[in-house]
Amino acid sequence: MAEDNLCIALNQVGKFVDTPDGKLDILNNISLDVKYQEAVVIKGASGSGKTTLLGLMAGLDQASSGDVFLFGENLARRNEEQRASVRAGRVGFVFQSFHLVQGANALQNVMLPLELSGIDNAPQLAIESLRQVGLEKKVNTLVEHLSGGEQQRVAIARAFAIKPQVLFADEPTGNLDAGTGRQIADLMFHLRDQSGTTLVLVTHESELLERGDRQILIESGRLL
Amino acid sequence: MKLRRATIHSYWLMFVATVITVAIVTSSQLITDRIGLLLDRQASELLAADMVVISGREFDAEYREVAKQHGLRVSSSVSMRTAIFIDDNPRLVELKAVDNAYPLRGRLERALGVTGERTYASGIPASGEVWVGSKLAELVGQSFSLGEASFDARWLLTFEPDRGGAIFNLAPRVLMNLEDLPATGLVVPGSRVRHRMMFAGELSDINRFKIWLTINLKAGEEIQDLENARPEMRRALERTRKFFALAIVLTLVIAMAAIAITARYTANREAPKVAMLRAFGISQRSLFRYYLRQLGGLWVAATIAGIALGWVTQFPLQWALDGWFGKSLPQVYSLKPFLSATLVGFLALAGFSLPYLVNATATPPMQVLRTAVNRRSWLRGLLISGSAIVAVFVVLVLLMQSSMLAVATLALVLVCAFVLPLVLGWMIRLLLFSSQRRFWLRQYLLSRLQAVSRGAIYVMSGFSLVLIAILLIAVVKDELLGSWHEQLPQDIPNYFLINIRSDDIDAVGAYMQQHRIESSKPYALARARLTQINSVDIGAIDFVDPRAEHLVKHTFNMTHARELPDDNEIVAGEWLDADSPRAQVSVEQGMAERLELEIGDQLTLTVGSKTLRAPVTSIRSVLWENFKPNFYLITNPELLADMPQTGLMSAYIEDRSRLDLKRLLKRFPSITLLDISEIMARVRAIVDKASVALQFFFIFALVSAMIVLLAAIQTGRQEREIESSLLRALSAHTSQLYRVHVLEFTLMGGLIGFFSASFATLAGWVISVYFFNIEFHFSLAVWAYGMLSSCLVLTIAGTLVSRRVYNVSPMKILRS
Repeated sequence: MAEDNLCIALNQVGKFVDTPDGKLDILNNISLDVKYQEAVVIKGASGSGKTTLLGLMAGLDQASSGDVFLFGENLARRNEEQRASVRAGRVGFVFQSFHLVQGANALQNVMLPLELSGIDNAPQLAIESLRQVGLEKKVNTLVEHLSGGEQQRVAIARAFAIKPQVLFADEPTGNLDAGTGRQIADLMFHLRDQSGTTLVLVTHESELLERGDRQILIESGRLL
Repeated sequence: MKLRRATIHSYWLMFVATVITVAIVTSSQLITDRIGLLLDRQASELLAADMVVISGREFDAEYREVAKQHGLRVSSSVSMRTAIFIDDNPRLVELKAVDNAYPLRGRLERALGVTGERTYASGIPASGEVWVGSKLAELVGQSFSLGEASFDARWLLTFEPDRGGAIFNLAPRVLMNLEDLPATGLVVPGSRVRHRMMFAGELSDINRFKIWLTINLKAGEEIQDLENARPEMRRALERTRKFFALAIVLTLVIAMAAIAITARYTANREAPKVAMLRAFGISQRSLFRYYLRQLGGLWVAATIAGIALGWVTQFPLQWALDGWFGKSLPQVYSLKPFLSATLVGFLALAGFSLPYLVNATATPPMQVLRTAVNRRSWLRGLLISGSAIVAVFVVLVLLMQSSMLAVATLALVLVCAFVLPLVLGWMIRLLLFSSQRRFWLRQYLLSRLQAVSRGAIYVMSGFSLVLIAILLIAVVKDELLGSWHEQLPQDIPNYFLINIRSDDIDAVGAYMQQHRIESSKPYALARARLTQINSVDIGAIDFVDPRAEHLVKHTFNMTHARELPDDNEIVAGEWLDADSPRAQVSVEQGMAERLELEIGDQLTLTVGSKTLRAPVTSIRSVLWENFKPNFYLITNPELLADMPQTGLMSAYIEDRSRLDLKRLLKRFPSITLLDISEIMARVRAIVDKASVALQFFFIFALVSAMIVLLAAIQTGRQEREIESSLLRALSAHTSQLYRVHVLEFTLMGGLIGFFSASFATLAGWVISVYFFNIEFHFSLAVWAYGMLSSCLVLTIAGTLVSRRVYNVSPMKILRS
């Protein structure tokens, strides 16, 4: 049983996949706790298993062994539908490739998770969130017409609009130039400081690593 | 090697689409050739053969020998007018002597009396006996003399297949065995006899023999085949063939749409690979050559597979059609279907896929570093649309029998290809504008359809094209069949009363009225030969249309009228001024076209021994299929006043009125009764068989449509999976994902159905009115069926095909 002050707890978690050459271990015997309001940065080389670890912590994937607790709920024995219920309205995501809905404007993209969670005043909350990321003048702009940095701002606004208890960010600056990446990182940490949201961030950039409360290094599926 | 494997994998959809295209051409050509041949055979039964040569003299024995060398069956008949004596009164009869092979197509029917049961005859009259027409019904069971010999009238002849032709010129029929003819002594030098030699066999053999015969034909000999047989039959066959051509082409358009959609998909998938190869320094030219080789290989493999599939497909279809048609489809041995299929496969593949691949080879190498849209230059856009247009046009010209129809179909395809994406885009924008308060779910769906990157508009346009084609086949089919059936109602005349003496016309009319027999008004009938056009002897004029030759020797039905007959329409000039004393003549459109007649041309006609001259004052279209009295030439009453003429009437006589008929014939002995119900039944049979054949094409079109649908859904699957994964990560439930997809497909279906029904109705109207010359009826049912079927098919197929999407892991969004 996870402790009450733990947002995420992983207990001897393993993840493997079957390949034609036999079982391939991606994560091995991972145990890890993340407290509420903590900012944890996970760093590792390509193929080290950091994205898989993020997916397991967020309940996007199921562990092959061990227990994963999110908000005190054990995700190990829950199907995707039940895991979605645990995430609903409490988890935000920021992806490397933004993953915005093409053909929709900035406002609509931010409204999407609010409406999916059945929140009534979605437009107001979305506008407020866009204002926080400095895009109040571009609410009606189609996202494909925005720059890379602006698209990532919309993604951040979308993530913070639902006022999540935990934000998972996967290489949020990976697709941006250094200057824009720095601005995005500043924005994300600023919003996180304001809202007290727990942050789990996967990156391979040293600059971001230093901004977390705690750094976790992963190599060949094991925590160092 | 790995690269090659990956390429082949990404090409499989395009390969399947090409296989289907080739298979459609192969099987449809194989089957339509065979259906066409069967329909010809049906019509041949009205000639009692596939081809007939007619002459006033005996034929060279060489004709029979050469025909047999060509593998044809041959039959001969001799017909002549002669008199027989009944109770010492002379009666003019049309004597026909036939050999044992007669009829080569169709069957004779006989009965023991006017009210007796009609049965098929297994042969011809035995030696020493004759069968007589209904006009001589009273002779059945008696003996009478024909020239120097005596014969027993054993049966009433109720139907002979080739009693078409000059139907208004018939005296009562007496049918006898050709072997008995010499004994009658009726055929002597100088006798006016008509020799017919009939031929039947495989179409290719008939065609080869026809070439030989045409070259060796003697003066005074005339070939008659389906081309110049009965006009009502010819019209029915022409329409049927036109429709077959339309149905095949529309089915092909569907298959080609599948190639276009899959080519676009393949090119998009190839773009990252091209960027990578170009980044490594491989030139655009080398890449183009590489893709050209891939396409060449795909074409060869798809052609072999498509021809095999098309060849195999004809057998279940043949089996199914055999049951419906009541007889086996005749075999056609020709390489044409296979060659056409190979060529069409090449054109479709090259026309639709090559430009996309050219565009793919231009993917900038920068794309390996940063995903960017490979924007097409206007030149490449023009290349893509231009080559597709050329491909469609060449295929249409290759396969369609009517150039007008080919141009119209191309216009339809172009309208669909260019206008549909615009219209659908506007419609989506309009719907987006009308609902701005909430994003989920309606606006989210509309944004998905509008997103350029997803290409939903193009997929929708592609499927719209398919649905338009299907609805068009259905709409035109219904109009065509409806129109045929309208023209052939149950109570149309089934008898012609001919040779009514002028003095008897009023009395016959009164008799019909008294006995409540439905009949037309009496028409005057004169038999006219056209001898000169603008004072030039008709034999000296060189006509372009080969069918004119038949008309040059033809005796035309001519009448006079004050008013334009029903179902006739003036296409040029003005209708006769009945009160004017000046000579005027109105000419049937087909005759005018073949003889190149124009308004104002001076015609010289002979009626009996008299000659008349009149200018052409109008040209009329005639609805030959209505089985009412129809005339090639109509003059003003004044002109025919002194010409030899008889009366003609059509009537609908039910079986229960047969006795009244017998009394009528007794009271007016000059009348010859012509039963046309059998001919009508044949035309009806053609219409019904055509309808079955059309259903077959409809099924083909539906199968192709499903391929397009699957290809279209498949092309968007990757984007769909990513989006579902995103929604999953944003905590959407399965039910929400399910709702998104079901509603997306339903919305697409609704929009596609609405526009497809609108376009199909518009195109159906154009095709019906301008190419089939039939009236078009607008029907809301087309919209209802179009939208309903489109929604149902898209929703069910889309939901089933995309079922993996509902279970996609949200991890995919992290990995993508």
